[in-house]
Amino acid sequence: MSRDLKLFVVDTGPLITLAVAQSLDYLLYADADVVIPDAVLYEATHDAARLGAQDIIDWVKAHHRRIEVAATKAYEIFDAARMTIPNLREPDLGERAAVEVIEQPDRLQGTERGLWLCEETEVLRRGTVRDRDRIVEISTLDFLRILEAEQRIQSAEQIFELAAHAGRLASRAEKLREQDEVTRAAVQSLVRRRDSGHER
Amino acid sequence: MTETERQALDAFSQGQMTAIELRRRLGGATYGDVLRLLDEASLPLPRAPVAGREQNLERARAWLFPKHVP
Repeated sequence: MSRDLKLFVVDTGPLITLAVAQSLDYLLYADADVVIPDAVLYEATHDAARLGAQDIIDWVKAHHRRIEVAATKAYEIFDAARMTIPNLREPDLGERAAVEVIEQPDRLQGTERGLWLCEETEVLRRGTVRDRDRIVEISTLDFLRILEAEQRIQSAEQIFELAAHAGRLASRAEKLREQDEVTRAAVQSLVRRRDSGHER
Repeated sequence: MTETERQALDAFSQGQMTAIELRRRLGGATYGDVLRLLDEASLPLPRAPVAGREQNLERARAWLFPKHVP
């Protein structure tokens, strides 16, 4: 990953919305690297196992050279605790991991800039924006509207309509209900891959 | 779904409540659950308000597609 622009996906909303609309690749249309906190990926694929989970995992694996799964202490501690408390749930895990990534002092280096893509404004309220000149926050719909303005996609609204009708996918989702162990293993594998530098 | 939950879903759909707050009010619902409930209630996803944020969006566009911005 070496692009100057980093697209931080700081909550599950954009991933699930785009996954159920079969449009995750839109995140790769711009010349930017994608950064997803590990716990956000876990929540997107575990909590929403019935909606787009497998698509998200497959997509991250397929594009691991463009996508960094950012390791966080929040997820590491959670994962360790799961060894003794298998049913442990932490509703704000993704939020805390996102804030941790956002606040890493060396996250943006040199001329690098960051776009924060999220739906959960609470994440942004909790995080401290260190350098407003180098960071812009946008929603999924903002992002899609930019792609539409650039004529990279036909219609931002259409993608949102597809996502809004995601309930139609419920029957397929039922099959993914027991994804937790698979998801954890996938997230760990993706983080390890990044740490060992295989993606570079 | 209770009336209170329905009202929370309405508020979220109209952009008056964050997804995190809605998920809490729905007893720890996932974002996927939120999408399904919106569909069942025939409510649209919230649209982010654009007014006052044009500058932000222009900056984001210029960063994402520097060669194509007029």
